[in-house]
Amino acid sequence: MAHIESCEKKTATVTINGKQVTVPTGTTILDAATELGIKIPTLCWLKKISTTGACRICVVEVEGVERPMTACNTPVKDGINVTTSTPALEQIRRNTLELMLVNHPLDCPVCDAAGECDLQDNCYGLQVDKNKFGAELERLPIRYDWKLLESDPNRCILCEKCVKVCREIVGREAIEIVDRGDRTIIDTISGEPLDCDFCGNCINACPTGTLISKPFKFRGRPWAFDVTPGICAFCSSGCQIEYHAKNGRIDRVTSSDETYNRGNLCANGRFGYAAFNSPGRVTSPMMREGSSDQRKVTWEQALGSVAARLKELGGGAVAGIGSPRVTNEENYLFQKLFRGALGSNNIDSEARLGYLPSQILQWELLGYSGGTFDMNAIEKASAVVVIGADLKGESAGFAYRVIQAVTKNDARLVLANSRGTSLNKFANSFLQCRPGSEAWLVAGLNKAILAEGLEGKSANVQGFDSLKSSLEALSFEKITAACGVSEAQLREAAGLICNGGSTAVLYGFDVIRSADMKNAVTAAVNLALLTGATSADGAGIYPLDEKNNTQGMLDMGICPEYLPGYHTYEHAAAKFGAAWNCAIPATPGKDLFQIIEAIESGQIKALYVMGSDPLHILPDRNRTLKALQKLELLVVQDIFLTDTARLAHIILPAATGAEKAGSFTSADNRVQCFSAAVKPAGESRTDAEILMKLHALIAPVVAMTPMTSDELHHEITSLTGLYSETCDHDGCRMGRVKNRTEKAVFAPLNPVALPQLSRPFTLKIGSLQHHNGTMTTWSENNMLVAGEACLELSLEDAAALGVAAGDMLKVTSDSASITLKARPSANQQRGDLFVPSHYRDPQVNLLSGQKSSPLAVTLAKA
Amino acid sequence: MAQVIFSTWGGDVVDNRNVSGEPKAVSYRLPVAFDGERPLRAFMGWDGIILFDKYVDVPAMTAEYMKRVQTLYCCGRCTPGKKGTKVLMDLFRKVLERKASEADLDTVGDLAELLKNCKCTLCQSATVPVFDAVKHYRSDFMAYINSACGPNAEPAKYIHKITAPCMDKCPAHIDIPKYVEELRNYQYGEALATIRENMPLPSVCGRVCPHPCETACRRKNVDDAINIMVLKRTASDYERLHNLTPPMVPKAKKNKTVAIVGAGPAGLAAAYYLALEGYQCTIYEALPEGFGGGMIAVGIPAYRMPRTILQRDIDIIQSLGVEIIYDCRVGKDISLPELKQKYNAVFLAPGAHRSKPMGVEGEDKGYKGFLSGGIDFLREAYMGRPTGMGKKVCVVGGGNTAIDCVRVALREGAEESILLYRRSRKEMPADSWEVDGADEEGVRFEFQVLPTRIIVDDKEQVTGVECVRMAMGEPDASGRRRPEPVAGSEFVVECDTVIPAIGQDPDLGFIPPDMGIDITKWNTVVTKFLPLKDAAGKDLKDGMGNMLSRSLITDCDGVFAGGDAEIGPLTVVACVGNAHRAALVIQRWLEEGKAYLSEQDIFDDLLTYLGVYDKNEKVAWLDSVNRAGQKEIHGRERAAKGNYREVELGFSDSTAQTEADRCLRCYRMAMVAV
Repeated sequence: MAHIESCEKKTATVTINGKQVTVPTGTTILDAATELGIKIPTLCWLKKISTTGACRICVVEVEGVERPMTACNTPVKDGINVTTSTPALEQIRRNTLELMLVNHPLDCPVCDAAGECDLQDNCYGLQVDKNKFGAELERLPIRYDWKLLESDPNRCILCEKCVKVCREIVGREAIEIVDRGDRTIIDTISGEPLDCDFCGNCINACPTGTLISKPFKFRGRPWAFDVTPGICAFCSSGCQIEYHAKNGRIDRVTSSDETYNRGNLCANGRFGYAAFNSPGRVTSPMMREGSSDQRKVTWEQALGSVAARLKELGGGAVAGIGSPRVTNEENYLFQKLFRGALGSNNIDSEARLGYLPSQILQWELLGYSGGTFDMNAIEKASAVVVIGADLKGESAGFAYRVIQAVTKNDARLVLANSRGTSLNKFANSFLQCRPGSEAWLVAGLNKAILAEGLEGKSANVQGFDSLKSSLEALSFEKITAACGVSEAQLREAAGLICNGGSTAVLYGFDVIRSADMKNAVTAAVNLALLTGATSADGAGIYPLDEKNNTQGMLDMGICPEYLPGYHTYEHAAAKFGAAWNCAIPATPGKDLFQIIEAIESGQIKALYVMGSDPLHILPDRNRTLKALQKLELLVVQDIFLTDTARLAHIILPAATGAEKAGSFTSADNRVQCFSAAVKPAGESRTDAEILMKLHALIAPVVAMTPMTSDELHHEITSLTGLYSETCDHDGCRMGRVKNRTEKAVFAPLNPVALPQLSRPFTLKIGSLQHHNGTMTTWSENNMLVAGEACLELSLEDAAALGVAAGDMLKVTSDSASITLKARPSANQQRGDLFVPSHYRDPQVNLLSGQKSSPLAVTLAKA
Repeated sequence: MAQVIFSTWGGDVVDNRNVSGEPKAVSYRLPVAFDGERPLRAFMGWDGIILFDKYVDVPAMTAEYMKRVQTLYCCGRCTPGKKGTKVLMDLFRKVLERKASEADLDTVGDLAELLKNCKCTLCQSATVPVFDAVKHYRSDFMAYINSACGPNAEPAKYIHKITAPCMDKCPAHIDIPKYVEELRNYQYGEALATIRENMPLPSVCGRVCPHPCETACRRKNVDDAINIMVLKRTASDYERLHNLTPPMVPKAKKNKTVAIVGAGPAGLAAAYYLALEGYQCTIYEALPEGFGGGMIAVGIPAYRMPRTILQRDIDIIQSLGVEIIYDCRVGKDISLPELKQKYNAVFLAPGAHRSKPMGVEGEDKGYKGFLSGGIDFLREAYMGRPTGMGKKVCVVGGGNTAIDCVRVALREGAEESILLYRRSRKEMPADSWEVDGADEEGVRFEFQVLPTRIIVDDKEQVTGVECVRMAMGEPDASGRRRPEPVAGSEFVVECDTVIPAIGQDPDLGFIPPDMGIDITKWNTVVTKFLPLKDAAGKDLKDGMGNMLSRSLITDCDGVFAGGDAEIGPLTVVACVGNAHRAALVIQRWLEEGKAYLSEQDIFDDLLTYLGVYDKNEKVAWLDSVNRAGQKEIHGRERAAKGNYREVELGFSDSTAQTEADRCLRCYRMAMVAV
């Protein structure tokens, strides 16, 4: 009973079935047996969640203990002697399974899980072919009224895996065990239809056919599908998935618990595949002449025309927009086409809006862009700071890691954000700032750490003194006045962040897209340096991006200022030119904004857009529209008929992430290779194929005869020096390692004063967890759970305006007005509004004029 | 006198069904009548069945027992429990419906065996009486199966109660297994909600509870008790450290009002439960604002119970609509009759704040340095007022208050802090970890000494205490050995301050004698009780010598009493449990005009009397995870002058997980037939 912490022996040696093994204390008998290669049957055990001990199948005998113990949740004790199989144990297992089968429906012929059912497997394995127990049959209602998921409680064996995955991995608690006795089922607590993340991780965890995917129901038997490992093509988390395809069509996406992401996906990863099967796909090349309609043409006509006209306009008159969606190889080929074949450095991407400049800045301060470590390092953090991000909306894999850190590793969580998010319930401190004041807030955290004397060894890092003096010039009063967070809150948060362990810093959309991005990112990097986050024993700094290959796209040189691998023209243009057998213009090209300006001025006459929708993405929609309409040649290479594609002279139908091979680089710098799961839909072709063909047409040089992927990889690695050469294509999806230089410097902070807003409300545009970019708005699955853009406003403002959920509201900026459905939300503070960026309608970027988010708007009932 | 007809309780079969001559004499700690009126005909539970009435329908009772276990309590979270009790329930129903066969009865034994593999003890323990019933009353079951008439029996009413050893032992009857399991499942909010069902001061009882529950923890029969108290603290800390808003929402306001005397644990607890029901509660507290909490505040030093954390619990109670009027002493600033007249009900919870005299020569002379009492010293120190303490402090006593005094004396700047106690260290009523804490901080102990005289100088300033050594004397009539002075062993402990800390009494001077409120010889308020008697006709009493089952209404209608002033000085958790009951009774009185105990209240008392925990039970389990202790600040500096920083630091969440996972979840259901 002593109230002191116990000091225990760190390992235990145990004997299982006569074999000895030494394991760390706390290891379960099941895990110890696994180490010895001894298999104990289980049903409710799942490695990634806490143990349950519900099914009682894993009973074993421990010498000296007069009852069987469950192996899955009994930690070993030094010296114990365990037997995993005796006639008595087998009898218990069989009888327990017989009990489990009492009233279990034997509808295996139509059960979705047939063929991949753990209950089937265990009954088969233990030869449970009769049942001496029986009870009155009572059928429980099947939940047909849930979206995307269906729950048949009659098939449920109450293993709790789904509930625990929902709670412990996803942090949602959408489903719970309800009722008592034999009527105990998995249901929503309220009994209302499921309203959740719709990540479907519960389906993945379900050992029977209780929780099933509705879109997959009756699509086919599990064994009838070709299963191809892939990398999720939605957000920047880079989850490892499996595409299940039949007849050239993806019908299901799963992920194995053995993957890097332990089988955990989000709504986009699991259900977004429906976009690939969307009728909105363009599957044949299209062309239009003058003002005529776009008409189907052959690939020869389309490519011939593109090649001829690009070549004719050539050089400085052409520009290209690359894609955060396509592979590294394809982005590489894209810039090579422009730089090498067309002689133009006018290439950029939507990353210009924030991620690119922020990562150039981070590169200058830290010596690398993207995350410090791979994201699992976050799970070992003792403190996590999330700045200006809705993790689930922007990159759900990061959210799952943070949840692990806070729930399983006792990490303290500080959220520095202008709106509440789904992680708020885990937060020890929520520093809610005014929209756009993230630079001030994080500067305040920098200052609070110094004020509390918590900076540790970081004082030795270069530039510390200049940071210190810049912070001395910033008073807490000024900081509080700018961001709305008090000195006391900042100091308290500083204490939470610097708690003697390792810190992880994550920064997202609101930092990267901030009007004062420079100070916001610098402050985040400084915070990481002050807390030792980027040191070997830290937990890293991680910029987030919503899209799957933004980081890889930048690595591949899709920007006007750097060649692939961030090489400058000055140093490397000659080397690249020599390798490509051509001359590369040696001066930086135009960036995205300059490209638009140059189109307006007539300097740029042709624009080639690959996998991007500038009309939707850029602020000031009307200006972009006018510019695009002015082009002599607009080529759009995409999988959908996007708003930009509708304006195109030539549309080149491309392939989805499931229809091609290549590699994506996640925001945490994992370079993951994958092969194609299905062929490109219809006549569409992979971006690589299109680009190589075009290159050959424009500049028929030896180097550009179609290359094998190995040759391409070799060229990329040897020229960029960024990715390692080797990649094991047989299953390992993390073959390539990204190289980096290590340096670290503090930079002074001088946050810019926030502009006086001309209208009473501040509108922010951002991501929802049920969508990713515009791509998932083509997925009927995602649209089923999040079908329209709603305007989030604070409960107080809703009350003041007399607005209820679903009422229509008119939002007016200096540029335009749009009408949206109201959604009062506790996540918003008074005066703040939020609207999702995904939907093609209404066109939110009509509002934005020349500015980016946040915007000053007025609000009125429509 | 009720005779035991048949029993398997505790595994000992007593069968007086067909005896000629003297039936076997056996008695159980149960009343002859459930509520003092209705005879207790049978008792069924985890340890067997007991029949006091031969006309009890055992098959019907068995079927009812299994039905209640399966449909009301079986959590469904393990296969044998979920399905096994369902099979059993349906089997017994079939017996009553005459659809069963004799072979079905044999399945009961198979299932009883298989259910030993249940995850917890509820379903498993439920097979014990059921198996006994089938085994020993097989002919009654066969009577249902084979004939149209069934056994010769009279219908009964059944009352059941779910319990667990820890839950029973906790005076507030917190559903401990539930919250422990919720914590283990990362459901911190749910865990705290479970705790609050019976404990509105979770941060307090997560820190300073003497945790009687842990003395009844079945895990003790394997290795050590679960650290139940610190797990409670974990749940309450989680809400605070995550800035979560407590989820309680009071019911719609009722127009009935309750006045409460004292903002201590009892007063606050009663206010909490009454406010949740919508009653308007006003607490009258003698101390000024900022010092609410009664004995928790002024009796427990801040290094054990940080003020801000206590205040948070009080603030939460106030946020439910409870009004606290500070600086208002009932009996001085407002009279009790006035309260009775102004409010629909009055709850007296003044606590026990009056120090008992030491009975030593010189204590009544008003010497400088002789302080009035431990509890007064703690209060003055807590309130930051001059305590009158010098540099060398002698505290007399062996309880937690005495320990608090020596430890506070150090923090108030004493150069030496000495504890005088007349018995040995292991006989101290203080919690052992508190004594260890004082030891670590450098307190000097003088055990087996009796102060006999206060020594003063010519200015009547205390300079020492004359003591005599004590030794165990010869056993007295009751066989107990009492400490006796050793002749000639007198010696002087030099000191400039003496603090007697040998106990407290309620100060009930505010109750006018003409109100009809009776007061006991121990100076506690008398409340009404049920006439529960054992087989020998003796009253059933609780551990404090009070009547076992009290409805907490005084002899003055509309005036209720609880806490230390009703029980006698005890613990925070006892006061909370007692006040929770008072709140329920007050509600019944306000709504129905009757102050009575529910069957569940009575059953609680019955089980406490019977005892749910069996320290001799052999519990088979692998003892592979040791009890976790909380983090603690060590070293003498923690008791440096002015350092009231919390000494014990609780669990990290992950330690809490591991600790909670040790819980064996010892639920069981008792049922009586009346």
